[in-house]
Amino acid sequence: MSNEFNIENIAKLASINLSEEEQDSLSNDLSIILEHVNALSDLKLNSQQQEIFIHPLEKELELQEDEVVESLTHDEAISNAPESKDGKFVVPPSME
Amino acid sequence: MDASNLSIREINSLFTKKELKPSELYSKVFENSANSEAALHAHLTLFEEENIKKAAESDKRFSNGESAGLLDGIPIAIKDNINIKNYKTTCSSKMLSNYTSPYDATVIEKLKEQNTLFTGKTNLDEFAMGSSTENSAFGLTKNPWNTDYVPGGSSGGSAASVGARSSIAALGSDTGGSIRQPASFCGLVGFKPTYGTVSRFGLVAFASSLDQIGPITKTVDDSRIIFSSISGEDSRDATSVINNQLDIPSDNTATIGVIKELMEDGISDEAKNEVNKVVEILKSKGYKVKEISIPIIKLSISIYYLIAPAECSANLARFDGVRYGLRVDGNTSYEMMENTRAEGFGAEVKRRILLGTYALSAGYYDEYYGKALQARKEMIDEFAKTFKDIDYLISPTTPTQAFKSGEKTSNPLEMYMSDLCTIPANLAGLPAISIPTGLSKDQLPLGVQVMSKPLSDNSLLDFSEIIENEVQFDGQPKGWL
Repeated sequence: MSNEFNIENIAKLASINLSEEEQDSLSNDLSIILEHVNALSDLKLNSQQQEIFIHPLEKELELQEDEVVESLTHDEAISNAPESKDGKFVVPPSME
Repeated sequence: MDASNLSIREINSLFTKKELKPSELYSKVFENSANSEAALHAHLTLFEEENIKKAAESDKRFSNGESAGLLDGIPIAIKDNINIKNYKTTCSSKMLSNYTSPYDATVIEKLKEQNTLFTGKTNLDEFAMGSSTENSAFGLTKNPWNTDYVPGGSSGGSAASVGARSSIAALGSDTGGSIRQPASFCGLVGFKPTYGTVSRFGLVAFASSLDQIGPITKTVDDSRIIFSSISGEDSRDATSVINNQLDIPSDNTATIGVIKELMEDGISDEAKNEVNKVVEILKSKGYKVKEISIPIIKLSISIYYLIAPAECSANLARFDGVRYGLRVDGNTSYEMMENTRAEGFGAEVKRRILLGTYALSAGYYDEYYGKALQARKEMIDEFAKTFKDIDYLISPTTPTQAFKSGEKTSNPLEMYMSDLCTIPANLAGLPAISIPTGLSKDQLPLGVQVMSKPLSDNSLLDFSEIIENEVQFDGQPKGWL
């Protein structure tokens, strides 16, 4: 396993604006943690099958009936919005 | 006799015989929290005034002989990552400091149906990420046995609340040990049910394939009562399962396995001694006890710290300053999101989001996340093989007694290691319980963990009760009542 990472790039992907000080300390922490998880690379797996794992009890996920059920009202759904207008979420412009 | 020291069944019996009123007990637990809260900071919100009317309604039901359930009038504290309608759910994060839940979690609906009285919302590590309740944006919680020490985490507030008798029981959530580890540090029973038996609807998600709600209580029977009240399949949680319990023997026809890998380096002699003490008791009662090796357990921390952060990075993407929670201004939507997440999340949450983002990013996915998934599957298979011959697996709950506040905050990996014994049950979806068994030389509680096969929760509780009765742990921190 490689331990190379670009902290600025990861922070961009995670949409978190990091200060320089945070970049340094988090880089250091991530290096230490990744060095530890590298123990996994020594593991000889019994199966090479690339299994995408969903449920620890291996429950098959089922489709549900398309039924109308009680849920939040529009007002309730928007009640915690930092900014709203006419029942809609308001955000800054997406393009400059 | 102080009623706040009694078990749920004992309290219910007093209510039924009209020797104690729910409103009297409700006042008593708030007297207790008035004595301890300044020193411990177990709660983020206390509900005393709101529920006085509900307590009076419980009084009336018992006085008229109309009450049905064991939880009627029982004061229970709720971890502040579980939604109660019209109350704040902060997850101990600046991100949600002003969030008021518009709905009830399924477990809350179920407890309301039983007329449980909620006492308040308890402190936790931010978004349940931590092992000491030191990662809360709203201050530390202290261990009721000795305030120099942490109560464990992430459900440290729930454990401190029950420990100081500010509630009769509490709900916590457990992603890698967050119920069992604080229960062990505070001399209590902590039970993580089989994955899927308790609905996660209304629990703020951290790592969805690992998260599970469960009780922190004084006795095994209290955990049994709460588990039976909150479990059941829920259409609002697609991962929930029908709670069809397997019946495995709990008497001395059962075979017990001691996990070799959790009795080696990194585990204190005191923690090992507690396991050995329980093993000797079980042997004297005629149980067959074997040493069992599950080598992949040694990789638990590595597997967990890829899967849990990966799921956390996806789950916490919802905190974007648009629909709820904190917003910090920016010139564009994207800038606003970056600024909001920079200010709203604490250091540990950022650490895990970044780790998860990296593990899932292009070029690294197979190497990290894919490998961790495969290793997790192997661990599940290894446990399944073990449970063909073994009914219950015993280990320490934690490698050591509680550590001091500040002792591990500068070294994240060292903090992660404190969950070494509890993480395997989350990775494999197993039911697991911590039972208090003794005190260390520093007079701090120590616990023993028991795990069993998926959906054998009730048998696990029966077996744990046998250990509890034999050990006779006299567990009560002094000075709060």
